[in-house]
Amino acid sequence: MKSSPVVMNHFTTVHTSFLIDFTFTNNITILTGDSGTGKTAAFSFIKERMAIDWDILCLNYLDNQSCIKNLLSQVKSKLIVIDNADILLDDDTRKYISLDDKNQYLIIGRNPRNLFTSKDNLFELASEKVGEQTKFTIKPYL
Amino acid sequence: MITIYKEKKDIPANKEYIEWNDIFFNQHTASKMDERASQIIKEIDCAEHISKYKIQSRFEETVLDIDRLSAGCKTVLNVMYNPDKVFCMKECGSNALEILYSLPKGLVYSDYALIPFNMKEVRIQSQNTDRVIDSYEELKRWWCNEE
Repeated sequence: MKSSPVVMNHFTTVHTSFLIDFTFTNNITILTGDSGTGKTAAFSFIKERMAIDWDILCLNYLDNQSCIKNLLSQVKSKLIVIDNADILLDDDTRKYISLDDKNQYLIIGRNPRNLFTSKDNLFELASEKVGEQTKFTIKPYL
Repeated sequence: MITIYKEKKDIPANKEYIEWNDIFFNQHTASKMDERASQIIKEIDCAEHISKYKIQSRFEETVLDIDRLSAGCKTVLNVMYNPDKVFCMKECGSNALEILYSLPKGLVYSDYALIPFNMKEVRIQSQNTDRVIDSYEELKRWWCNEE
């Protein structure tokens, strides 16, 4: 599914020697790829930013006892970042996300079921050394 | 070889099912690990296992607590060190899946197909089936109920 981001086209944050520099081209970005590439590390850096940036909401396995769908339905104009999505998101919540035009999503996982997405939504993490920093970006998943 | 379940109801009553590999690893498996874990950590996360609870990250050679391993790596280690329990395999990337399928024993669950291209043999267990499969296509058909 191709739909323009409704909250932000670009997100950047710094965590000591790590730089996150993500450019979004869709309202739902699925961040996928091999284990150990830094996806959850990137999530933790974005989550730290949540403390000072009201545009961001981060969810992961620690939110397993919450009703995720209810939580999503109560917020608007946020970039919602979800780690451990393959287990955390049930089919009902996935359908809700696919139709939500008030928020934007960055979903870390491998299963696109019921999100009604296409390859345009699939991205993987890329990392490069820039001076003394490690820069994380996202690139289309092949 | 590993054994795969595709429905939770097929998991034997005497086998505990673990959905959140992160939590189980941090609470149980981390303290059981020995030198066998080092190669797994290197192959999946490209990190060095430098002491019982420490790894050296692939990024910037930072020393990290072992809880920073990827969920895929933790899943493989959980299966390896706890062969009497059934672990959700949904958070394994392709690199972790390849190692998972090569383990001599272990029990895993997923309700959708997760198969590495170079798979060899796995045992499948469902309501009326208990057999060994050595073909990617046959395993995919079983998982997708296309048999």
